[in-house]
Amino acid sequence: MAEIVSVLALAHAPGATGWLDKAPAHEQEALLAGYAAMADHLWASKPDVIVGVANDHLLNFRMDNIPDWCVGIGDRWKGPSPWFRDWVNIAPYEVDGHRALARAIVQGSAQRGFGLAFAETLEFDDNWSVPLHFLTPQHDVPLVPIHMNCVMPPVPSPARCLAFGRVLGEVIRAWPGSERVAVMATGGLSHDPGGPKYFEVDEAFDRGFMDLLATGDSERVERELSIERMVAAGDGGTVELLAWLVAMAAAGDRPGESVFYVPSVPLRCGMGGMIWNLPQ
Amino acid sequence: MGIMQTDRTLPSNRLIFEVRRDPALRERFTSDLEGLMADYGLSEPERRAFREIDIRALGDMGVHPYFLPQVTRLFKGAGYNHNQSEAAQLYARKMNIQE
Repeated sequence: MAEIVSVLALAHAPGATGWLDKAPAHEQEALLAGYAAMADHLWASKPDVIVGVANDHLLNFRMDNIPDWCVGIGDRWKGPSPWFRDWVNIAPYEVDGHRALARAIVQGSAQRGFGLAFAETLEFDDNWSVPLHFLTPQHDVPLVPIHMNCVMPPVPSPARCLAFGRVLGEVIRAWPGSERVAVMATGGLSHDPGGPKYFEVDEAFDRGFMDLLATGDSERVERELSIERMVAAGDGGTVELLAWLVAMAAAGDRPGESVFYVPSVPLRCGMGGMIWNLPQ
Repeated sequence: MGIMQTDRTLPSNRLIFEVRRDPALRERFTSDLEGLMADYGLSEPERRAFREIDIRALGDMGVHPYFLPQVTRLFKGAGYNHNQSEAAQLYARKMNIQE
């Protein structure tokens, strides 16, 4: 049976690759050290495949039909989507998919009450391009991308995201292959692309959010974390943190461990990362 | 304005969505914005907002917030999009906010 060998969540804001030199030196150092620590954690788990969960920035699904989750089942992925190349400042890359596991996620989730969309092709922007640049710069670990709706209400509730994360974990562990699977959520923390807080970061919210996930108490997460609270911390972007709840639940509702946090106005985002330590 | 006030059926939302994905449409956005807006059925207030790069008006009409800074990038370029970049500063000016 497949095994989940690491679970992590991290910010993917484009400034990290697009204009990092505009951040003060201490922010650059903390951010690069943070991403390096996340990469070390990922590689130490010797993953055969990454199952990723991240916001779709209204890039793949027109507003007439936006799924809560859509699993990429293709054999090969390309990024960044052309118009976003200059923005993220990342050269074109390709990474393998994992069709069999992706299809099993769609089927297994359906059997457990989650009707996921699926797609043969998906455009990638900062959601995968930035984290892969730092974590798997050779793009040599296959990726099953799961795009989710975090920005076009109604978005799935925190409770729904936790429930999906549990199902995702269960389906991966039930997969008959021998793969070592990393689960990687990307997005957040507070940022407000297209809102009045474009040049602000809500550090108090971000630290509170990471502290909340560090409790590993999903009932408390459901109770204390609302969509409204996330919207208040940055309308257009902070809700991406729903992906972190999927990761937390896939890890078995365990306490997360903060790896780094850099509130960066020059990058227009609260940049952070968290891992979940799994039983050996 | 805001994600909760987004008007999913607003023609501007479909135009921006597709322009970002299609190089031919991006070329047309630059060379024939009027024709493009007519083809997508934008209302006169929407067309005026694009002509004047009136980001706030687009937001008030229900353009998704995520698209608003992207509109300034479509006009001013997306590369090296730091806070002092032309695109970010245009967004700030039109939204009447400052870093």
